[in-house]
Amino acid sequence: MKREAPAWLGELQARFAAAIRTPLERASGTLTAPLSAYDPRLVQALGGAAAKAPQRLAVYNRQYWFRLFDALQTAFPLTARLLGYWSFNDYAGRFLLTHPPRGWNIDEVPSGFDAFFADALQCEDPGRRRALIESARIDAAWRAVFAAEKTPVFRPSDADAARLLDAQLVPSDAVRFVEEHGPLVELRRLLAREPSTGALALPSPLPHSRWWAIAGVGDGVATLPLEAREAELLTLLGRLSIRSALARLEQACTLEERAHLPQRTRAWLARSVAAGFWSAVSFAG
Amino acid sequence: MDFVSRESEKLRRARGLASSAMGLGLRAPHYTHLFEHEPELDYFEVISENFLAPSPTARQRLGRVKAGYPIVLHGVGLNLLGHAPLDEAYLEALCRLADAVDAPFVTDHLCWTGAHGVSHHDLLPVPYLPELVELAAERAFEVQRRLGRPFGLENLSSYVEFSGSTLTEWEFYSAVVRAADCWSLLDVNNIYVSSQNHGFDPDRYLAGVDFSRVLQVHLAGHTRESDGTIVDTHDHPVSDPVWALYARAWKMGGPFPTLIEWDAHIPPMPEVLAQLARAAEVHG
Repeated sequence: MKREAPAWLGELQARFAAAIRTPLERASGTLTAPLSAYDPRLVQALGGAAAKAPQRLAVYNRQYWFRLFDALQTAFPLTARLLGYWSFNDYAGRFLLTHPPRGWNIDEVPSGFDAFFADALQCEDPGRRRALIESARIDAAWRAVFAAEKTPVFRPSDADAARLLDAQLVPSDAVRFVEEHGPLVELRRLLAREPSTGALALPSPLPHSRWWAIAGVGDGVATLPLEAREAELLTLLGRLSIRSALARLEQACTLEERAHLPQRTRAWLARSVAAGFWSAVSFAG
Repeated sequence: MDFVSRESEKLRRARGLASSAMGLGLRAPHYTHLFEHEPELDYFEVISENFLAPSPTARQRLGRVKAGYPIVLHGVGLNLLGHAPLDEAYLEALCRLADAVDAPFVTDHLCWTGAHGVSHHDLLPVPYLPELVELAAERAFEVQRRLGRPFGLENLSSYVEFSGSTLTEWEFYSAVVRAADCWSLLDVNNIYVSSQNHGFDPDRYLAGVDFSRVLQVHLAGHTRESDGTIVDTHDHPVSDPVWALYARAWKMGGPFPTLIEWDAHIPPMPEVLAQLARAAEVHG
């Protein structure tokens, strides 16, 4: 029969956990919690203030936060560098207060940070705001692609080809499509060569937005530029049948665009299949 | 007594490594050097959690490492002394990973890491009490049974101690390992760190270790903070006092496999391997 832990252990661990999750204060510029913030009953159980218990609890307290800050900085390197680590850690801390780690896998801790950040971001400059939110989306896409299982790539058979129009393509987990209004994807690639923690200057906006496919290739991540309409089609294909997606795209195009659309959509579709953007095809429904 | 006769057959089988094997804690920055140069090393130790739910890249890399070296698993997420029962899904995944790499042995820490549904991703101490010896031993026994291979517990480095403890740390540690009939992963740096933080004699700790149960010894660097607290940062070379303590451990209980951990500000792999060369000098 499995022995249960004594009830007092659960209570002690709850107090200890509360102490090490005490938010760090930013006012001093050093990210520490005031020693008076720790539960006096816990301090007493650790031998009291005379035994340096509060100072030693502070070691665990800072380790907790900085280990998790590091996990978030690693998962969102572009966002962290554009904000600067000091500012990024503020958002990370607020995220972690509402999304504390729930399991043994520290790589899961950053999940959902991009959505949180888009809601929480305080930035009055609309251009900078858009770039920061895009940077978090790009980081999240990169992270998802890197972690994705390499599923078999869809290659249509002759039998598929005959009825493909009414089928729906199943997107590969190892591909994401992202839009940027500044050269953020290129900037993210350069970060690995320039380790630093200071805030990077935001790159100048592009004349027009750009789309990229971020895709797992071999044991790395590749970026492929997409035309805007191509990205629109690929996004539609992820949720509609090929026939419906093509119709929806045609509706969105200008008359001039429509003149070349059949030729271009065939090329885009062929390219997406060749690049492994689809893992399967569904004929259901 | 010579070294060969000191290593019992049971211990030799449990280790599954040469008695003086030299190993390295494998971290992501090592891969490039490792795959290009295939350094002479007896084994690698990997952090279990990095491969329990691995990215395809991580799994592919682990496969390449396994082709050339024995791999032992070292966990940081078992939560052996958490108030909640052991995580069954975690254990199942750990068993699968150990089978996949055919790990000679698996280790984790004598500590708790999470409580009330929140994981802290840190190795946290408990009061050293007979009541918790029984709890930890029962769980460690079960982990070893489930793994079907030797399971070792690592002694903790700590920054606080509980006034209610009735056992010393080494009494607690040895009692758990003995009662669980499992094994030890003795971290000499951790002994030194805790001895400095809590004011005990590290040699008394060593004297309390049952070396017939030591699967391997860990060495790592640490950082001394401005208030004198030593933090187990694994971001420096092994310090001279730790080398001296290691030499005394070797004299008392060697030979044993020895592994270097370097987890932050990781230098080029040859610099890390130089630490192992220094360990070999201690062996004489």
